[in-house]
Amino acid sequence: MLLGSPSVCAQRPKATDYQVKAAYLYNFGRFVEWPSEAAATKANAFTVCILGQDPFGADLDTILAGETIGGRHVVAKRISSPQESVSCQILFVGSTEGNRVGKIIDILDEQAVLTVSDMPEFSQRGGMIQFVPEGNRVRFEVNLAATQRAHLTLSSELLKVATSVRRN
Amino acid sequence: MLRIRHYSISKKLTWMNMFVSGTALLLACTAFFAYDVYTFRVGIAHNLSTQAQIIGSNTVSALVFNDSRAAETTLSALKASPQVAYAAIYTSEGKFFAGYWPGEHGQSLPFPGLPTGKSQTHWFGHGQIALVDSIVFQDRPTGFVYIRSDLRALDDRLRSYTLISAAVLLISLVVALLISKMSQRVVSEPVVRLADTVRVVSREKNYAIRAAPTGNHDELSTLIEAVNEMLDQIQQRDAALLLAHDELEHRVQERTTQLELANKELELKNREVERATKLKSQFLASMSHELRTPLNAIIGFSDLLAAHTAGSLTDKQGRFIGHVRNGAHHLLQLINDILDLSKIEAGQLELRCEDFRADEALPEVLSMIRPLAMGKNIQVELSVTENLSIFADRVRFKQILYNLLSNAVKFTGKGGRVEIDCQPCGNLVSISVKDSGVGIRPEDHAAVFEEFRQLKAGAEATHEGTGLGLAITKRLVERQGGTISLESAVGQGSRFTFTLRPGSNLAGIVTPVQIASSVNSVLKGGSSKPLVLIVDDELSARELLASYLSSEYRIAMAQSGAEAMEKIRQLRPDAVTLDVLMEKGDGFETLVALRKEAETATIPVIILSIVDQKNVGFALGATDYLIKPIRKSELLPTMHKHLPPRAEDDSVVLLVDDDPKTLELLEDTLGSAGYETQSVRSGARALEVLSSKIVSAVLLDLLMPGMDGFQVIAHIRQQPTLRELPIFVMTAKTLSEQEIAILGKETQAFFPKGGPWQQQLISEINRLIQGKRAKAAGIL
Repeated sequence: MLLGSPSVCAQRPKATDYQVKAAYLYNFGRFVEWPSEAAATKANAFTVCILGQDPFGADLDTILAGETIGGRHVVAKRISSPQESVSCQILFVGSTEGNRVGKIIDILDEQAVLTVSDMPEFSQRGGMIQFVPEGNRVRFEVNLAATQRAHLTLSSELLKVATSVRRN
Repeated sequence: MLRIRHYSISKKLTWMNMFVSGTALLLACTAFFAYDVYTFRVGIAHNLSTQAQIIGSNTVSALVFNDSRAAETTLSALKASPQVAYAAIYTSEGKFFAGYWPGEHGQSLPFPGLPTGKSQTHWFGHGQIALVDSIVFQDRPTGFVYIRSDLRALDDRLRSYTLISAAVLLISLVVALLISKMSQRVVSEPVVRLADTVRVVSREKNYAIRAAPTGNHDELSTLIEAVNEMLDQIQQRDAALLLAHDELEHRVQERTTQLELANKELELKNREVERATKLKSQFLASMSHELRTPLNAIIGFSDLLAAHTAGSLTDKQGRFIGHVRNGAHHLLQLINDILDLSKIEAGQLELRCEDFRADEALPEVLSMIRPLAMGKNIQVELSVTENLSIFADRVRFKQILYNLLSNAVKFTGKGGRVEIDCQPCGNLVSISVKDSGVGIRPEDHAAVFEEFRQLKAGAEATHEGTGLGLAITKRLVERQGGTISLESAVGQGSRFTFTLRPGSNLAGIVTPVQIASSVNSVLKGGSSKPLVLIVDDELSARELLASYLSSEYRIAMAQSGAEAMEKIRQLRPDAVTLDVLMEKGDGFETLVALRKEAETATIPVIILSIVDQKNVGFALGATDYLIKPIRKSELLPTMHKHLPPRAEDDSVVLLVDDDPKTLELLEDTLGSAGYETQSVRSGARALEVLSSKIVSAVLLDLLMPGMDGFQVIAHIRQQPTLRELPIFVMTAKTLSEQEIAILGKETQAFFPKGGPWQQQLISEINRLIQGKRAKAAGIL
């Protein structure tokens, strides 16, 4: 009788935080619209880039394998320089890059790349989506001003489930 | 349903209308109702589906980002729909994700599943509609929405719909009732009026009434017209019938009048016929009297002359007297035959049919015919079946047989032969008389039975006879239910055969024959000697005793006790000799029986026996007792002691007749038998004599001027002293049944004039007077 309750759901074999976060990376792709010229100029694959230390490992590749967004295959790409991220649609900034966050955001200035990180104060510092732990769940906050600057359109559905939305 | 059959036509019509409109309305309402329920359900399902889709698209991100609270927020928007009882989001794996319950937080339901290949399904049950819709985001199944919604709205709707339908139905029916009540009159009113009219017509039998026309031109008006036309015809027919009836009545009256007239005429004629018949009967009666009276004198006197009572006759005189006698006898026979025939023709012949034995009646007739036959040396043979009985008038039977036999003897030459045969034939008795005579030609067979037809049978034959014998015979046979037939040819003799009905019971037949014969045996004596009855079972003994006694006494015999008693009762003997040892019955018993009866108690009885039982004999009432063998010198004195052979004759017989010749004849006849007589010529004179003188008997004629014989009898019987006076009647009158009955009761005997009355008369008087003497002797 209690099968459907949230507590039971929590009892199931638990996915690690990064597995959840890897799935979220993919799902963000589904709720965000990239400007069409950007999509056209880009290569065929929808690329999820990891900058800095990769916390996902093979899990990300497993999750993304075979998935598509907007008819394009999704692939993961590990990069080491922020310059490389211009070709990505989503850029996950590892916690090792905390010192370079400002520089990365500047480099990507107005580039249609959705920046995501789980480092604290990422959205305050100009990042677009920042994972926020809430209890044992993974949630996120959105810096709407940053996304608008990058001409990315976020679905209201996404905003609905965000813990907070920064608008300036 | 059956009651509706007895409703009036207007009620039927109304009910029919109501039934039709009610059924139509009910069907319409039901159809609308069903359609509405259907569309309503479809609508609800559609609405719910829309809601589910909205919820689904609004909970996609919540599902994707596992934010059940966001989903619950979305679901909570369902508060606006109060009928939703439960709503929930399930993950694509079917796990409960977020739920909604109106009011309190309730329990989550397990995911019901979705048929493969379908993105949505719904069903009804438990007063709810349930719907499952899949949530698809960017072609990926993301989860499911499950909504259950109460159908209270539907129920409410159904309820109100039912109410409205009922109201509509009711109102419609009321309206339909009103309309039908009004409209049915168009049809029913003329019918009802017609029915009323017809009822009145049939009740009052008034065919002048007409049904009112409707003014329409439908079948009803045709019916009314037809009824009216029918009434017209009935009225016309009634009128015609009445006319015919009147006419008929008139005719019946006419006929009745005619009939009455005819009846009156008929009655008159009837009376005339009756009178004529009466006259004829009277004529016959007086004829028989008037003819027989002079004839009686002729016969009687010629008999006396022939018997030389008036001196001796010369041969010539004797011959002439013989001719007179023969002629007179023939005339008497002719008269008797004519009277018989007239009686038969007039239907006045009275038959007294009874059962009697053939083997007793036949010899009696034979004994009458034998002297005739012997005169011509004709052999007469009788063959009769034993124990055969006949049901007929005994006297008439004998007459028939006598006629046939006398004819047979008459027409048979000397030395011929006559055979009589009597036997049962089918269910009848057939008696035939066959002779060896001249025979009859076949063409004359029918004629022999006709009146006054005497056939010239042969050249030599001019036979005596009245020519009436066979005619009477034929009628007598036929009157008694039989037939008579003839077989004959010339020279072959003839055979007459007649049939009669057989008697029913032989055992029950009384045999008067024996009485008659015994009377005859008594009469043989012909004198006034006292009568002695000899009772003995041995013939030789009887004959011996008779030879001893016959010189001084008349003798009667009996061979058994029973026969003795019978003869004693019949003959009243003056004494009895009784053998006590007989084969049949003990003599002592006879003695006892004799003494028991008052009438026979005083008769002297002399016992003659081989054994000496005097004590017993005298104790039982024997007058005397003699022991066999008995000598004449012993018997006669004993008999003389108890019964003197002849007493003094002091009796006077009173003769009453208006005819002096008859009186003279009687005087002579009785005088020759030793009786003193006194003659008177009228009834009145007779009564005078009787009042002054004692007589021993009266001999009375019936038909006399003034007081007739019956009146004389009545007068005599009225006087106490003369109540026992013996009366004998001699008459030439043809007697009626009633008259015979009177004579049988009031007189000792009656003799028809012209019959062989003389001898009978004398013997009756002998018996009577000597009986009286014997009684007187017994008393002395």
